[in-house]
Amino acid sequence: MKAWLLLTMAAIASAQDFTQRGFLDTSATFFPQTAPNDSGHAWGQSLLQYEAFYKLGPYLRFSGGIDARTDTHQQTERDFGLSWWDRTRQRPAFAVRRLSAAYSRGKLTIEAGKQFIRWGKTDILTPTDRFAPRDYLDVVENDFLAITAARLTYGGQSNSIDVVFSPRLTPSRVPLLNERWSGLPEGVSLSELPPAYPGGPQFGARWNHIGQTLEYALSFYNGYDHLPLFRAELPFVQQFYPQMRMYGGDAAVPLSLLTLKAEAAYFTSTTAASDEYVLYVVQLERQSGEWSFVGGYTGEALTRHGSTPFYSPERGFARAVTGLAGYTIDTNRSLTFEGVVRQNGQGVFLEAKYSQAWGQHWRATAGIAWIHGADSDFLGQYHRNSYGILGLRYSF
Amino acid sequence: MSKPRSTGLPACGRTNHLARAILTAVLSATAQLSAQDARQIVEESQHRAQANSQRYAGVLEVIAANSKISKKSWESVRIGSFGASKAVLRFTAPAEVKGVALLVVNHTDRSSDQWMWTPAIGRDRRIALQDRSTRFFGTDFSFEDLEERDAGQFDFRLTGEESIDGAPCWRIEAHPRQGKVSQYTLTRMWIRKDNYVPVEYENLIKDEVVRRLHQSDIQNVQGIWTPRLLEMTDLRRNSRTVLRMENLEYNVPMKDDDFTVQALRREQ
Repeated sequence: MKAWLLLTMAAIASAQDFTQRGFLDTSATFFPQTAPNDSGHAWGQSLLQYEAFYKLGPYLRFSGGIDARTDTHQQTERDFGLSWWDRTRQRPAFAVRRLSAAYSRGKLTIEAGKQFIRWGKTDILTPTDRFAPRDYLDVVENDFLAITAARLTYGGQSNSIDVVFSPRLTPSRVPLLNERWSGLPEGVSLSELPPAYPGGPQFGARWNHIGQTLEYALSFYNGYDHLPLFRAELPFVQQFYPQMRMYGGDAAVPLSLLTLKAEAAYFTSTTAASDEYVLYVVQLERQSGEWSFVGGYTGEALTRHGSTPFYSPERGFARAVTGLAGYTIDTNRSLTFEGVVRQNGQGVFLEAKYSQAWGQHWRATAGIAWIHGADSDFLGQYHRNSYGILGLRYSF
Repeated sequence: MSKPRSTGLPACGRTNHLARAILTAVLSATAQLSAQDARQIVEESQHRAQANSQRYAGVLEVIAANSKISKKSWESVRIGSFGASKAVLRFTAPAEVKGVALLVVNHTDRSSDQWMWTPAIGRDRRIALQDRSTRFFGTDFSFEDLEERDAGQFDFRLTGEESIDGAPCWRIEAHPRQGKVSQYTLTRMWIRKDNYVPVEYENLIKDEVVRRLHQSDIQNVQGIWTPRLLEMTDLRRNSRTVLRMENLEYNVPMKDDDFTVQALRREQ
């Protein structure tokens, strides 16, 4: 039986319609300053990511992927179980990154399973990207998480509609209270109760139009916020996830010198403790020679104050001017610069990275980031977390 | 009786004027003929390369000014008639860009539309017209170089005959027509007389040649004479990219629905 399975897998792997990719990434982060929850100056972590895609006939495709990771600071579990739902506070050591089947025929595509779903057009903040929770354990170095959902896409090049149904919320992973990215002030000690995850489903729809001179989309989402509120009975705190409804839109207009992108979403909630607000982004981008530039403003307008503490990097990076610049030195080397300055002047993040590839597989990255600001500001609270990072990646 | 209208020129001046007029008319007629010939040559060249679809595996070597070589590869599929076709380029190597794809939707009356799919962030991005002069993923091809140049968007002029790689060629200049957005102000091309295959392009910005594309290893593939080896030189960077087309096939069954932004994501 096992031999049969191995032979089948070998046959699939040798088929032309099988593709795979992945990498092994190891990085070390150095912090010049200690923080209230971390007396150390260095972290290390490794991630092995593997993804495979198989096309069975003209209509059916399968995607699968797995993440295996470890670290020095126990932000990753030491449990060897395989996580599907991504609902643990720590990163799972082994997780199904994606596993889905997609059926496509004509203008129709239906995909079911664990998958990545991205909405929106802007880069510096994406308010309408409701099915894209993230791993924010390191706040500024974050990554997307897949969700379990059924997705139906219908349409051609000009107009398409995307309908998503997800039976359970996949929450964003927010900083652990006993780590340096929690941002807790010195002397404050909290005990965390297990998060209260909602049981209900979430769904959304997005209509996208691509015109000759304009692209735009309208989107609707009903479900839960993937970022938590905090219920506190000191010294205990517990995360819970408020109901959320979103009405959003995004657009991209290529102008003669620059491309203008804009995105806005209005968030309401039946959870009285939750804020209601508008998030919006206006962004300009341009490529010139070896340079690429993206810059813009992210804004927020509060329409109802919910009075409950929340943790939201989306809103924490709002009311800010953000800029990204990339410079390609040559085929193998590049530089990137990123800056976020809160309009209140109390939070600043500046980062520069140099990256170099060798041959077909290796890439090294070195970077420094400076965080400055006040404890009262979302970004400024991490002023002890300026860092230097070294990374080495083997891609295959 | 009306008096013959005087030109105000002396007799000899009138003779010279007449000669100039005849010369101008002859030159104009020659220029029109040359333009007509040039257009016919280019259209015939495009007609001979006509196929319902095309598929190949591209193996690329990017040779930097310091002679460092980096290798890349992509898979290319194309559907539709020349100038109005749709094409998808999907990188297969190096490993870190595997899956990155570019969709090019060509139009006969305007510049192409282009979208890039980046699997690492799960997003597509439209390549704006003003960004088309940027190099395509570290190669010496710019995004604009990856679009098809329909003859209807250019004015042509036959400027002479020269041999390239020992084969007699027509030398033709192509000026983008008003409304056509291009980084290049002029393109010179050399089209072989025996099989109408373009073997060299020189792309100029103002009077400076900035990119040169040399096409060689011409083979008859399913009745279509096709250059299998393309060498693009960026003369300002002093670097070049050599693209070899492997497993080239024409008229392969393909579906129009596989050439959309949605399909870029679907086919990741």
